[in-house]
Amino acid sequence: MLDINWALLAPLLIIQFILVVVALVDLIKASDTNGPKWLWAFIIVLGNILGPVLYFIIGRRKD
Amino acid sequence: MQWMTLFQKELLENWRNKKWIWVPLVIILLSIMDPLTTYYLPYIIEATGGMPSGVVIEELPEYAPSEVLLMTLSQLSMLGVLVIVLISMGTISGERKSGVSELVLVKPVSYMNYITAKWVSYLLLVWVSLFLGILVSWYYINILFGTLSFGDFVTTFFFYGIWLTFVVSLTIFYNTLFKSSGLVAFFSILSIMVMSMITKIFHHILDWSPNNITEYIIDTISTGEISKDLILTGIITTALSLTLILLSSQFLKRKEMAG
Repeated sequence: MLDINWALLAPLLIIQFILVVVALVDLIKASDTNGPKWLWAFIIVLGNILGPVLYFIIGRRKD
Repeated sequence: MQWMTLFQKELLENWRNKKWIWVPLVIILLSIMDPLTTYYLPYIIEATGGMPSGVVIEELPEYAPSEVLLMTLSQLSMLGVLVIVLISMGTISGERKSGVSELVLVKPVSYMNYITAKWVSYLLLVWVSLFLGILVSWYYINILFGTLSFGDFVTTFFFYGIWLTFVVSLTIFYNTLFKSSGLVAFFSILSIMVMSMITKIFHHILDWSPNNITEYIIDTISTGEISKDLILTGIITTALSLTLILLSSQFLKRKEMAG
């Protein structure tokens, strides 16, 4: 069986992590969102890649 | 200069709403997803319980580097295009709805400057994201599947960028037609799908339809020679994008005058 080379997969995980952190920081700073904030926090954390993307496209309100 | 001021406003806005952070990251993720999952497919099958008994696969197919690159491009052509349409769907329509565009355009600001500043700011974001995405995908393909030359990377990046330029131009165009960003996104995606269908049906006549660009990029990489078809498709796609931008400024002018 193939060995998993974690050095290869690390960038993938790091990028996902950055996305989640940026989305969460933005959510915390935002004064208002489309829909409840706690729900967005869930979506961002649990939604894998899609979570942060959904938040940035739909959840974020224009300042 | 007026144009620079508008352009800087757009860049600042896209920085503040974090597009400059998340769009490149998402495009990179989309670009490397397929090379990685394809490489680890045997492991993934094993980890998720293996093949049902009775199914025997002698050997999983081996992929040529250009085939894997094609996977990356098809991923970008679906989800990548969707992301690009969604980030730019409200850029003018939203401002027209909220009245910001009136505030800007009531000043002696030319419609052309207003539109091209937005257009270039989105193109910059898309090209930078694409550069990073294709670069990382190229790097992974070289490690995991075999050699793709640096020239292949440049060709892919440049010509695929032309296709994405068309997508941005199309979205900007619909932005001047509708005030609802939902409609902008819907019609942009619909147009791309209809174009792709027409290209498939009339394949024998429409040699240089923008939708064929991915196919020609892959051809070029497998044969190692930049084909005439690729160059002509690139020129036609660029011309279409410019036409759309010219039309947008005309339409916006008429709408704002009438409204």
